[in-house]
Amino acid sequence: MSNTLFAAEGSEFNSPGPGDFEYPPIFGEGTILTKPMLIVILGSLAVALFFYLAARRATAVPGKTQFLGESVYGFVRNGIALDTMGRQGLRYVPYLATLFAFIVTLNIAGIIPFVQFPATSRIAIPLFLAAISWVIFNTIGIKKHGFLGYLKASTIVPGVPKPILGFLAPIEFISTFIVRPITLTLRLTFNMFAGHLVLLLFILGGEFLLFEKGGFVGIAAGSVSLLGSIVLTFFEGFVQILQAYVFVLLSALYIGGALSEEH
Amino acid sequence: MTADPPEDPRRAGENDAWGAFSLVTGGVVCWGGVGWLLSEWLDNRIFVMLGLLLGMGGGLYLVWLRYGRS
Repeated sequence: MSNTLFAAEGSEFNSPGPGDFEYPPIFGEGTILTKPMLIVILGSLAVALFFYLAARRATAVPGKTQFLGESVYGFVRNGIALDTMGRQGLRYVPYLATLFAFIVTLNIAGIIPFVQFPATSRIAIPLFLAAISWVIFNTIGIKKHGFLGYLKASTIVPGVPKPILGFLAPIEFISTFIVRPITLTLRLTFNMFAGHLVLLLFILGGEFLLFEKGGFVGIAAGSVSLLGSIVLTFFEGFVQILQAYVFVLLSALYIGGALSEEH
Repeated sequence: MTADPPEDPRRAGENDAWGAFSLVTGGVVCWGGVGWLLSEWLDNRIFVMLGLLLGMGGGLYLVWLRYGRS
């Protein structure tokens, strides 16, 4: 299938597609390290270093790094954990804060110049993070209610008429244990996927119009497109932080749901 | 239990929205899936339709049970 948008005088524009998310190994054939992998590794190191620097030599009057670190941690603590779970949520702040910082870093990689690829648009990464959250909220639920008690709490809504319990319980089961991690994964992956695709289209399309197609229409449309790409880059930055927040918020809600007495 | 601070109502709203979404999806996937299996087995497409509708209805009913009353 060809992705040709404009077939103008000799040169043609190949619109970006899913192929732009496939990277060859950096060091050539036979090696396995690709750009998304490198971003994940560097991102992990950056997050670790950030929290290490923020916590090292912590003082009552915080320095810049400590202030930033405390802002991120405080935001997750007060804005997510306390809000969704109350004081019992404080135990899970370290996980949630790390998760938030990690996802933000991998998302933001999409608009950092020269990196410019959101590693979270590769489905394996959100899938794995969602799996971790899934294991955590189920473990907490089982610890709190016991295996059968947890299963009962998460499949039976109080007030369900007995005769159709067998009809409704499987729905609850699938919604809790299967739909949740899948939506968690897909929401993050495809927000990042679509955002990156839109940026690629505006930037590559603008470049093509301006430098390849030329003429009055090409220059006018290309300029608008490139200017638009700047606006969209800021918008993407907003979406990237928002999606990290949503992922962490939902993880917190699931943990809170597993903790609560009646589900 | 110790007294927890009351939940932020906006948070609760977000919670409900995603909860409702996953319940309806769960209903469709669950009984739609069963209907599909039945239709493969009995070679009659009507079961997919029945399963999807029943699942959707069940999901909506669960949404009402969980979030609609109070």
